[in-house]
Amino acid sequence: MASADKPINTDVPEKDVFALHFLQSLSNLRRQNTFNSPEKTNDRVKKIKKAAYVSMARAAGGTNRLWSRALLRRAAKENNKIVRFPRRKKRVTCLRRRSNRRDPVEEEEAERLRNLVPGGGGMGTSKLMEETAHYIKCLSMQVKVMQCLVDGLAPK
Amino acid sequence: RTSTFPTPSSQEKVWKMMNSSLLTPSSSSHVQTPATTFDHEDFLDQIFASSPWPSDEAPPPPPPSSDGFVDSRHQQIMMMPLPSHHQNEVVDGSSVHSLYNGFSAGGSLPFHIPQGTAGGMMNQQGQALTQNQPQVSASIATGGTAAAPPQSRTKVRARRGQATDPHSIAERLRRERIAERMKGLQELVPNGNKTDKASMLDEIIDYVKFLQLQVKVLSMSRLGGGASNSQISEENTSSAVAGGNQATGNSNDSLTMTEHQVAKLMEEDMGSAMQYLQGKGLCLMPISLATAISTATCHSRNTLIPGAAGGVGGHPSSPNLSGMTVQSTNKVKLSGNGVTEGSPPLVVKEAL
Repeated sequence: MASADKPINTDVPEKDVFALHFLQSLSNLRRQNTFNSPEKTNDRVKKIKKAAYVSMARAAGGTNRLWSRALLRRAAKENNKIVRFPRRKKRVTCLRRRSNRRDPVEEEEAERLRNLVPGGGGMGTSKLMEETAHYIKCLSMQVKVMQCLVDGLAPK
Repeated sequence: RTSTFPTPSSQEKVWKMMNSSLLTPSSSSHVQTPATTFDHEDFLDQIFASSPWPSDEAPPPPPPSSDGFVDSRHQQIMMMPLPSHHQNEVVDGSSVHSLYNGFSAGGSLPFHIPQGTAGGMMNQQGQALTQNQPQVSASIATGGTAAAPPQSRTKVRARRGQATDPHSIAERLRRERIAERMKGLQELVPNGNKTDKASMLDEIIDYVKFLQLQVKVLSMSRLGGGASNSQISEENTSSAVAGGNQATGNSNDSLTMTEHQVAKLMEEDMGSAMQYLQGKGLCLMPISLATAISTATCHSRNTLIPGAAGGVGGHPSSPNLSGMTVQSTNKVKLSGNGVTEGSPPLVVKEAL
């Protein structure tokens, strides 16, 4: 329904929400024993990156957004944790009712986008765009937070 | 007859009411020739009473009597096409009129579809609409109503039996939706002034990749002290993407990040720092050379000879280093003062 698209909600919480989640995850990481060993910087970096994404997903909307759910599910799988998501009232996955939903011209680009945005495989194109917008906002917020931290902690 | 359209929230309420208060689909194919042409005018007057359409005026729950049944039904039917017409803000009285002609008392055909997929329909409201419309139009055709003049603006209006291929309507609605969201995305993405949809999508994709790359690099530089060379080299391939975006909107952020990265790399090994810079399309050179070049050929778009840069940058303790991009379109200077091991404060200047 075209008119119902007007109130698309792509609001993103403030920076401090992101910062809070990220710092919490970082402090959790620090408490891990294997974390501070100087040799395995690779692992460390990967863990930090994953923590960044997970904290971003939590800060941005928890399980209310498709991409964040997919991200959290993916992360949980890697940790061999079983995560249960509360069932939402609306259906999460769009019903694919028509055969010709995809416009072949834009579809290859949409494929690339799907590969980038977590959870993109199960979305129709218009839903994908919506999720992309929110994802972009959250990503930029997260980058800002991390940049501030880096600048704050940089050696003088 | 014109009216202002209901606000979206009230529309959603209306949808919910519609879906929840749907009557049984038992009366299937009663949509037929209009035995009785009831009074459309009253309905329309009722419904388009005032502007804006308050949600309280939404159809009351269907009363048990058959007449009331019809009323609420038709009121519900009324609302279906409206959302798609919100752009035009004109209720095409005659076309809606013709909608009703197809319904007699107890006609519930269009509601089969939304009812069957009530849950999913909330997400696919547009498609529900389009699904209903062809049904309606089919019934209209059987009813043999006079076709209202097709709207000139958007083809979505054409709900006549002939041109209303349900797929094409759905296609158009879908494209409209996608176009709306593209517009929203355009504002987010820097350099989003491309009108071409394909290039806009390219920009979006590049921007997402760039942001993800930023997260990765930032997570490397912080806490991480000294990222290994292997990681940086794999970054070089993807940082070409970032290079394109650097000049546009995020130049400050990414240059600072680049500085940090280069600084850390220079602490370890000059070669890896050079590799990193080259991957980004940057190089190191003495400030004197850089200023000479910039003053002499401000507007030239020649790329620097990599050899010149390589020959100069091989001194880890050389006091003054500066860099210039080899990008043809934009030149960014990366100049530094006193690069010593430990704490290199790099200053970034942006030229032309």
